[in-house]
Order: sequence, then C-alpha cells, then structure tokens
Amino acid sequence: MLVFIIRRILQTIPVLIGVTFVVFIMLHLMPGDPAVVIGGEAASPETLAQIREDLGLNDSVPVQYFRFLSGALRGDLGMSMRNRDRAVVDEIFDARFAITVQLAVVSTAFSVLLGLVIGIVSATRKYSIADTGLMLFALLGLSMPNFWLGILMMNFFAVTLRILPTSGWGTWQQMIMPVVMLGVTGTAVIARMTRASLLDVLNQDYIRTAYSKGLAERKVIFKHALRNALIPVITVVGLQFGGLLAGAILTETVFAINGLGRLIVQSIANRDFPMAQGAILVVATLFVLVNMIVDITYKIVNRRIDLN
Amino acid sequence: MNELVEKDVILEVNNLRTSFYTDEGEVKAVNGISFSIKEGSTLGIVGESGSGKSITSLSILQLFAGTTGKIIDGEILFKGENLLEKTHKEMMKLRGNSISMIFQEPMTSLNPTMTCGEQIAETIRTHQKLSKTETKLKAIEMLRLVGIPEPEKRIKLFPYQLSGGMRQRVMIAIALSCNPDLLIADEPTTALDVTIQAQILELIKNLQKELGTSLIMITHDLGVIAEMCDFVAVMYCGKIIEYTDIRTLFNSPKHPYTVGLLNSVPSHEMDSDEDLKIISGTVPSPYDLPTGCLFSPRCPHAKAVCHESMPELRVHEDGGLVSCFIYEHDKWQEER
Repeated sequence: MLVFIIRRILQTIPVLIGVTFVVFIMLHLMPGDPAVVIGGEAASPETLAQIREDLGLNDSVPVQYFRFLSGALRGDLGMSMRNRDRAVVDEIFDARFAITVQLAVVSTAFSVLLGLVIGIVSATRKYSIADTGLMLFALLGLSMPNFWLGILMMNFFAVTLRILPTSGWGTWQQMIMPVVMLGVTGTAVIARMTRASLLDVLNQDYIRTAYSKGLAERKVIFKHALRNALIPVITVVGLQFGGLLAGAILTETVFAINGLGRLIVQSIANRDFPMAQGAILVVATLFVLVNMIVDITYKIVNRRIDLN
Repeated sequence: MNELVEKDVILEVNNLRTSFYTDEGEVKAVNGISFSIKEGSTLGIVGESGSGKSITSLSILQLFAGTTGKIIDGEILFKGENLLEKTHKEMMKLRGNSISMIFQEPMTSLNPTMTCGEQIAETIRTHQKLSKTETKLKAIEMLRLVGIPEPEKRIKLFPYQLSGGMRQRVMIAIALSCNPDLLIADEPTTALDVTIQAQILELIKNLQKELGTSLIMITHDLGVIAEMCDFVAVMYCGKIIEYTDIRTLFNSPKHPYTVGLLNSVPSHEMDSDEDLKIISGTVPSPYDLPTGCLFSPRCPHAKAVCHESMPELRVHEDGGLVSCFIYEHDKWQEER
C-alpha cells in the first residue's frame, strides 16, 4: 500500500513538468506581442526593444522555458504585465484561489448530496414514475450546456423575480445560482452512477442474505447495499471535483465571480502572459493533485473489499 | 405415506405456485407442489438446475426483493400458520429467527465490506435483546460452534480474508445464531472442494442433531441426499414427480426420471472406458413446456397417454408418492 502511494506521488512529477511545458508553449503560440501590450501601440521601436530585453524575450525559447520552470519551482511566477507591481503568485493566492476552491467545494457538496438522493430514490423504485422522471431530469442536466442554464436562471431569478443577485460571490444568495450551474452536470452524473451501481449491488447474493436475516428494507439498502455501491461513485466524485476547477471558468465568467477561472479569461484577453500562465498552471496542478488523492483514497477503500 | 403427514409437522407446503414475469412471458418456476417436514427431520429436494428447487426455498421465506418473482397460489404452513397471510413485519421477524437460510455461493453471499463478526452480530441484534458485549460473545460462540479456530480473532476479519469453506461456516453461524426451528440449505456445498464439502455436511448434520433443527436440503447431488436426508422430493420443471423416504428412493426408484438420475451417478463398479449413462435430451425451456407429462419427451418408456395428459402424484403401494402413468395400471395396460 505504501509502495503504491509513493509510486502514485512520484508519478505526478513528470505529469506536472509536462503541464508546465504545455502551458508555456501554448502561451508562446498565442498571437500578440507582450512588448506592445506593455509599451502601448504608440511606443517607439527603441522602447519596444528595451522592453523585450527587460522581459528576456530575446533569449531562445528553451532558455525562457527553463527560466519559467525554475521560477515556478521557487514559487515565483513573475510579475503581471498589466499591473507591473503585482506578483502573479500574490494575485492568485491572495485574491482568487480561495474563491474558486470554495465554489468547487460547495458545488461538489451540492452534487453529491442531490445526486445520491436522486440515485437512491431511482434505484429503489426502479421503473416507477419517480425513477423515470428523475432520470429524465438527470439526462437534461447532463445534456444542457451549463452556461445556458446559468443565463436562464439569471434571467428568471434575478431579472424577472428579483430574488437573487445577478453576480458576485460572498453571500449565500450569491452562491446559489453559480453552485447550481456548476454542480448540475456532476449531480446528473452522480445520480446516474449511483442508480446503476446500486441496482447492480441490489442483485448481489449478499443482499439476499441480508433480507434472509430478517432486516428491514431500509437497513438492507443503507447498511448493506449503499456501502458497496458508493465505491465506484467515489471515483466519479473525485473526477468531478477536478473537472469543476476547470469548469469554474464558465461559471465565474457568467456570474462575474473574481476567481481563478475568470482570471485566466481576463488575462488572456489582456495579453497578460505571466498571469495567464500562472493561473493555468495552478488550476492544472490542482487537477493533477486532486486526481492523485482520489486514486489513493479509492485504493484504500477498495483494498478492504477486494474479493480476490 | 402416513409417515409423511403425521403430527409434529413443522412446515407444510400445499399446492405452492411461484411465477416469474419476464419480457418473454410468465415462467412457472414452481408449479403446484406440496410437501411437509416433521420436526427435527431432514427433507431433501433434488433436481437439475431450473427444476424450481431453489425458488421453492426462496418462496418459503418470500425472498423475492429485486426480482419479479411472485407466489400466486397455495399455502405455506409453518407451525400451523400460513406464512402467505403474514405481513411484511411478521415475515421479517421470522426470517433469520425461526426460519433461516444458507446459500449456495459462500464467496458472494457475505457482504464484502462488513466483518464476519458484524454480520453475525447483526442477526442477533435484529432478533434478540442482548447487550453489546453479550452480542459479541454470542457471535464468538457461534463461530466456535461452527468450528472456526480462534474465533476471538476471526470476528474481526473481512470475508475476503477467509477461504470458501470458512465463509460457508460463517454463513452457517449467521443462520443458526438465533436457534431457528427450520434451516433451509440451498446447495450449501456445491461451490466447495470435495473435502470441504464433506466437512460442511458433517457440520450441518451435527449441529442439526445438537440443536434439534429441522432441515430442508436443496441439492442436485444425490450423494448429499443419501448422506443427509430422511425424505426426498424429486423435482422436475417446477413439479414434484416423486416423493418418498430415502431408502425407497435409492432401493427402488419409481419415476423414470429418478431412475435416470440414479443411473447417471458414476459408480465404483464401472469400467473406466464405460460411458456414463445420461438422460437423453435436455430440460425443456420454461417458456415452452411439453404437453402431457413434463418428462415425456425424454422418457424411454413414454406412450401416447404420456404426451396427452399429466399424471397425478399418487400414493404408490410402498408408501411413496410418484407421478407416472406406469404406476397407474389401468391406464398403462389400456394403452397396449
């Protein structure tokens, strides 16, 4: 087990290096000259040359990459180009990071709670009207583009009914719509997964054994079936959580939430290369780390039930 | 025959019919069977896969959750009370308490995420009012009773840490933990190694004697029947076709199917190059049962009458019950 955990942790290192490489190359392939961004359209060729020299843009690409990599390892992602006094790391961790993580955590909690309830109700009332209705709802949640759902909600609750604020983050009212928008896909996935997994488990021999002991249906489902059915669901939840960090880009944009996702969009639009680079790198790293934790958790949970 | 219906009958099943409903239609898994068990005795139900023997056992406890199985007719009298008239709650009180069951697959019949001790304790907790410590002690005691060494340590183990034979012992411990009056063992040894099979059968036999439990032994293995049972019901396609005491069954089987089953068991006297005797043909599909006697398409003695009408289960002169026209002399002679 320990060997597995260590190997799994070591495996993330090449992935993270790969991530820095891809992020770096991507930003370099983007059109636009950073010197012009800083100096402005009217700057003279001499000024532009000076800025390029200052930023190290005249060095070869490998040199620039290694400078970026070694900076990243030391926790230095450079300075913003828009606001040259603002370090990228400060902007990300002081202002943005907590908001996105909050959004992802609350959305995941929402997805898990609602998804489990829907899944359990559906599975225990297989082929009933409730089951059909809920699965239809889940299918809808899965297929509907969530930015569109966000806009529809905003139009209805904020514009027509005027009961929820249109944008921002902080109060619980401000959280409702972004959390629903971000969580709806996960809810649908978890609901369908729970239903399928629970139906599978309910057909197992040990469920019949549980009934043969004289246990009530409620106890059989919650004590015997659910415990086994949740194992595949854990994986899905973990992947969803990782995905939410990335999915936050759309949600934060729709509801004007100043998180990491919006920072990425804004800094790309502003040609603020170090800022975009840094934000993408942090999101990607988070994703890799969350997946690693999920893998390890799954292995620990799964070890106990490994039939062979 | 009087022996079979004497008093002290703990379970009496009359004209039981259980069906499953699939997309292809109704499957009459158990099609009007009757039998009874005297207190402390053992009834064997033998038959091929698909003969309805397992469904019979599930019907007694009404364990059809998650399936389309439904009892459509008959009565199941346990100590004189009809189980089919009981409420859900009353049935729950009976299951695992007065009537309990051991299943075929010890590998999958235990919950993989719960310790063995907890799975035994759960049954005790459901039916008896004992303190936490008493429950635990009782669980340990049960493990000791079924011959598991170091039960204090084993109660903490998960099923995957035990062998198939050990798991079946745990199943037996669960089933017997509340001293049931009736134990139903559905192919308890089929999935086990031969040496373990003998041990488990021995264990069940000894515990049955010790606790005075009545036993229904469901199996396709005539060796198990010979070893364990006082009476035997032979099932074919959801019906009992022969029902007699163990000696009569092995000494003078009546129904051609029973004869075929007994002949198909390899014996020591056979030459190694001799072919095993088999019953020709296959069990008919439950969706397409033959008319007349259900065994008639495979029966070496079948006459026209066999294909036309179903013989009834009748008392034979030696005391057993058999459903075959061969033993209805008037009809059989007429044919010729």
